[in-house]
Amino acid sequence: MSLLEGFKFRSKDTRIHKLDPRTKFIVVLVYTVLSLIFFEVIPLLIIFVSTIFLLYLAKSLGEWKKTMKGMIYFLIIIFILNFISIPENKFDYSLAMVLRFSVLTSIFSFFFLTTTPDELALAIEASGIPRDYSLMFTMSLRFVPTLAKDLQTIIDALRSRGLELEKGGIIKRVKNYTYVLIPLIVYEIRRSLMIAEALEARGYGAASKITPYYQLRMKRIDYFVSIGVLIVGLIVVLLKVKGLLPSLFYTRLFSI
Amino acid sequence: MANKENVIETKNLYFAYEGNKYILKNINLQIKRGEIIAILGENGAGKTTLIKHFNGLLKPSKGEVYILGKNTKESSVAELSRHVGIVFQNPDHQIFSETVEKEIEFAMRNFGFDKSYIKERVEWALRLMGLEKYRNRSPYTLSIGERKRLTLAAVLSYDPDILILDEPTAGQDFLQKERIAEMMNLLRHRQKTVIMVTHDIEFIVNRVERIIILAKGEILYDGDKREVLTNLQLLKKARLLPPQITQIAWLLQDNNIEVPTNILYIEELLNELLHLCKKVGLDESARRIQV
Repeated sequence: MSLLEGFKFRSKDTRIHKLDPRTKFIVVLVYTVLSLIFFEVIPLLIIFVSTIFLLYLAKSLGEWKKTMKGMIYFLIIIFILNFISIPENKFDYSLAMVLRFSVLTSIFSFFFLTTTPDELALAIEASGIPRDYSLMFTMSLRFVPTLAKDLQTIIDALRSRGLELEKGGIIKRVKNYTYVLIPLIVYEIRRSLMIAEALEARGYGAASKITPYYQLRMKRIDYFVSIGVLIVGLIVVLLKVKGLLPSLFYTRLFSI
Repeated sequence: MANKENVIETKNLYFAYEGNKYILKNINLQIKRGEIIAILGENGAGKTTLIKHFNGLLKPSKGEVYILGKNTKESSVAELSRHVGIVFQNPDHQIFSETVEKEIEFAMRNFGFDKSYIKERVEWALRLMGLEKYRNRSPYTLSIGERKRLTLAAVLSYDPDILILDEPTAGQDFLQKERIAEMMNLLRHRQKTVIMVTHDIEFIVNRVERIIILAKGEILYDGDKREVLTNLQLLKKARLLPPQITQIAWLLQDNNIEVPTNILYIEELLNELLHLCKKVGLDESARRIQV
């Protein structure tokens, strides 16, 4: 589960943490678009390095590294699959895809490491989505660690009644793991019913306008960053579309 | 190496979930076959963490745990559970079958028991826990007390040598507690080893001989129940109350009525009071109490 370390919020005293979540979301959006319009190694490498820089500013490189380490096998699979499926320019393209995936992982890691679940909830609500739906989303996020714990509890219970999940051939073990599905689903459904009751017992839905504990406020730096990032992103997209980017960007690095 | 006489043995057991924040420290235990033991201690003392080592769910960070001579680090939980049945506190964490019957036979099917033997044992377990009429029902339609009985039935059915119960009497009414006590008697007669983690002092007073007290992850006391349950200093350290009868004896002592302070049972207190009445010449009162 150290893979998830890069997506759990950690409270740190950085300017990034103090930014409005909507600003950070715009950054994520722009980076996502930029990573998708490029298929070449050099531009993606530049974008990737800049995401590392963002994570450095957020003093969160440690957690990010743990997630990237956990992703290693995934990255290798992406590289291999691309390598064997495209006809030419194999090495460059596969490396580019690995970089693109890394950029997407890293920029979302950047977002979740620096945004509290509450801020996220507020941001979603502030964007006009009705509270019922925004609550669905943020509650699902909030319950991911709980679900992981429930999974472990069920696995322990099954093992304690003789279900072999540690030894034996891989096929038998996978088959045994399927015994986890039904109890997990039933357990989580019952839990959601209990949560619904608890919410109602505490007045959820009683008033259409709630008093929030925190309020999001865009400061000058937020406008500066979000508009700045949008402008840069727009410029890059335009340059790419008009073919005005320096040919350096398109250099082929490997001959395979 | 483990002493062959012990069904459970721990040697310098230390456990931490991460780093060196040890939840269990230097636990050394020898438990012999047929012992009936209660593990007491306040919440957070490490009781549940300790029993999870007895079927391999947790492996020691330092030290060793031997179950029936086997080092738990070398066995899987499924293998160890064949001999050690643990019934945890929350039944909803241990129920996962479509019907009550299937729940009870789950373990035996995993162990590859003979079909007719499984049928026999399922019948026995259903009858023992009073669940026959629910046999084809979904476990989720049972009440919480019934679900607790089901988890007990599911573990008793496969007849493990060692039975560990985590808070078996929590939330149970008097009838159910009697049922559980009956079951423990049955197990005692069959030379099974039973370990109970509990807060229910009144329940264990009559039913165990040996008490282990855990405090802050260490063993505070391991021995005779009378010595611990009547020892004020020890109980204070463990943050436990003595049985009510003992408390009465102490109150009487405080009020200058000469009864011994190591009383555990109603009968003992009664005898002492009768004795006192006779001494003081209160034969009338003595005859009335003697009813």
